[in-house]
Amino acid sequence: MKTLSIWHRRRIQLLLLVAGSMVLLIAISLLALLLGIPNLSLPALWAIVNGGGGPLARLVVTQLRLPRLVLGMLAGAMLALSGSLLQDSLRNPLAGPELLGVSAGATVVVAAITIFHLPVLLIAIPWLALAGGLVGSSVVILTMSRVGDSARLILTGAALAALLNACVIIFMSLGAQNDLSILFLFLVGSLANRTWVHVQLVLPWALVAIPLALLCARPLNILQLGDDVARGLGLHVLHVRLLILALSTALVAAVVAVCGPISFIALLAPHLARRVLRTNDARLILPCAALLGAVLLTGADLFAREAFAPQELPVGIWTTLVGGPILLLLLRQQAGKPRGMS
Amino acid sequence: MIQRLAARYYSLLILLSLLVLFVLLVLHVAVGSVPISPATVVAALFNQPVETYQRIIVWDLRLPRALIALLAGAMFGLAGAILQIIMRNPLAEPEMTGATSGSVLFAVLWLAQGPGQLAQPGPILPFVALIGGLIGGALVYLFSWRGHNDPVRLVLTGVLISAVLRSAISIILLLRQEVIGTVLLWLIGSLNGLVWDQLNILWPWAVIALPLGLTCASLANVLQLGEASASSLGLNATWTRLSLFFVAALLTASAVAVVGGITFLGLLAPHLARRVVGADARRLFPFSMLVGSGILLAADTVTQAVTQPVTVPVGAALALLGVPFFLYLVWRRNP
Repeated sequence: MKTLSIWHRRRIQLLLLVAGSMVLLIAISLLALLLGIPNLSLPALWAIVNGGGGPLARLVVTQLRLPRLVLGMLAGAMLALSGSLLQDSLRNPLAGPELLGVSAGATVVVAAITIFHLPVLLIAIPWLALAGGLVGSSVVILTMSRVGDSARLILTGAALAALLNACVIIFMSLGAQNDLSILFLFLVGSLANRTWVHVQLVLPWALVAIPLALLCARPLNILQLGDDVARGLGLHVLHVRLLILALSTALVAAVVAVCGPISFIALLAPHLARRVLRTNDARLILPCAALLGAVLLTGADLFAREAFAPQELPVGIWTTLVGGPILLLLLRQQAGKPRGMS
Repeated sequence: MIQRLAARYYSLLILLSLLVLFVLLVLHVAVGSVPISPATVVAALFNQPVETYQRIIVWDLRLPRALIALLAGAMFGLAGAILQIIMRNPLAEPEMTGATSGSVLFAVLWLAQGPGQLAQPGPILPFVALIGGLIGGALVYLFSWRGHNDPVRLVLTGVLISAVLRSAISIILLLRQEVIGTVLLWLIGSLNGLVWDQLNILWPWAVIALPLGLTCASLANVLQLGEASASSLGLNATWTRLSLFFVAALLTASAVAVVGGITFLGLLAPHLARRVVGADARRLFPFSMLVGSGILLAADTVTQAVTQPVTVPVGAALALLGVPFFLYLVWRRNP
C-alpha cells in the first residue's frame, strides 16, 4: 500500500514537472518570437505562421528569432544531457563540462581557428572542437585512476581549464584587435546573431547524440551503485565510462563550436531535475534534465535579450552570474553530508 | 639534507639568491628588440660611459620594467606564503582565495568608469584594488569556512567565486568594447609597456607592505602550531589570522593594480621556497619573496626572448608553468 502511494506520488511529480516545463517552454518561445524590434502581437504572429504578414516582420521572425530559439532549445538540451552523463558516470555532483576542462578544450580549438584564420570548413569545426574537448576528458580519465576524491577531480579540471585559458590568452596576444572583439564575444557564450546555418551545424549532432545519451540511462544507473557493484553486475566499467565521457564531450563540443562555452546550464539542469523528482533514476532524470536545460537556456537568452534592450548582454554571462552562486550554495549544503549524490 | 644545510648557511643562501637576482635583472634588461650585451648593461647601470641610445633604452625603458617585476614578484611570493599559512592550505594562493579576482574586478571597474578611453592607472588604483581584494577574499572565506577548514573545498569555492567575478568583469568589457584589448592582456597579468610612472605607483606600497609581511613571520609561526596552541600562547587566533589576511590582500592588491592578475606565482614561489628552507616562517617569508622575484624576472625574460616581435603577456607563460605544478600538488596522495 505504501509503495503504491510512493509510486503514485512520483508519477504525479513527473507529470507536473514535464507539464510545467512544457508550458514554460511554450510561453518562453512565444515571447522570444514576439518581443524585440519590431514588437509583434499574437495575431500578427499567427498571420506569419499562415504565410501572411509584412515582409519585414516575416523576415525577422523566420530568419532571426526562430533559428535562435531552436538553437537555444537544442543547445540547452544537449548541455543538460552532457552534464547528467558526466555527473552520473563520474559519481560526482559537481562534474560539468565547464569545471572539467571539456568546454575549455573545445574553446581553445575554436579560438585558434578564429585568431589565425585557419582555412577550416564550417562543418569541420565541431569535429575539431570535439578533438579539443577530448583532451579535457582524457585528463579527467587519467585523474580518475589516481584520485578517488570528487573535489580533487574537479580541481584538476579547474587547473586544466586555467591552462587552456592561458593558451587562449596567448592566441589573443597574437591576434588583431578586430579578431579580439569577435573572440571575446565568442568566449562568453552567446546565442546572438545565430541563423539557420548554425542550426544546421548543430542539428546532425543533436539528432545522433541526444538519442544515444538517452539510451545510456541503464548503464548510468548501474554506475551510480559504485564501481565494484557495477563490475559485479557484469558491466565493463572502464569501457562504459570512456564511451559515456566521449558522448558527453561530443554533446558539448557541438554546442561550443556554435555558441561558445555557455556555462552552468550543464551543472544546474540535472540538479534541478533531481531535486524536483527526488530520485537519481537516470531513466527519468535524463529526459527531464534535457527539457529543463532547454527551458533554462531559452529563458536565460530571452532575459539576456530583453533585460537591457536594446543593449544585449550575452547569455553566457547571465548563466554564470546566476549559476555560480547557486552552485556555491549547493557546495555548502553538500559540505555537511557524507560524500555521495546530492 | 638541503633544509639542514639551508638553515645552517641561511645568510649565505640569501646572499647567493640576491646575486642570482642581480644576474637575472641584468639578463632581463639585456633581452629585447634591440639586444644589448650584458656587459654594456652593467656598464650603463653603474654610470660608465656607453652610447646614448643604449643608456636611454636601459634606464628609461627596460630597467623600470625589471624593477617592477622584482617588486611584484616579491609581493606575490610573500602573499602566497602568508595565505598558505593562515589557510593552513598548501593550495591557497591569491587567485584561489578570491583576492586577485576581486582586485581585478574593482580595478577594471575603476579603469572603465571614465568616458572615452581607458583611464590611466593612477595612485588611487591600488586603494580601489585593495577594497576589491578584501571583498573577494572575504567572500571565499565566508563561503568555505564551516568550523573546520577543508583545503580542497576552500579552493573549489575560490574557483567558483573567481568565475562569477570574472563574468562580472566580462559585463564591463562588453559595455565598453573599445577597451577589450587593453584589459584582456592585463587580466592575465603582463609587464608590457610598464615604465617609471607605474613603478612610482608600486614602490611606496612595496616599501610599506613587504616589511609589514616580514614582521608577521613570528605570528605566522605561532599560528602554524594550530588553534589551541596559539591561544594557549596568548594569541587571539582569529584576529591574527584576519590581520595576516589583510596584509596578504594588501600585497596582492597593490601588485595587481600595476601588473594585473598574475596567477600561480603565489603558489609556485612559497612551495619552492619551502622545499629549500623548510616551514619556519621567519626563513620562509624572505626566501619566498626572493624566489617570487626570480621566477617573475626569469619568466618575463624568457617570454620576451622567445616571442620577440609580439609580446605574449608573462601571466600566460606563468600559467603554463604553474598549472602542471598545481596538478602535481592536487594529485599527491596527502596534500
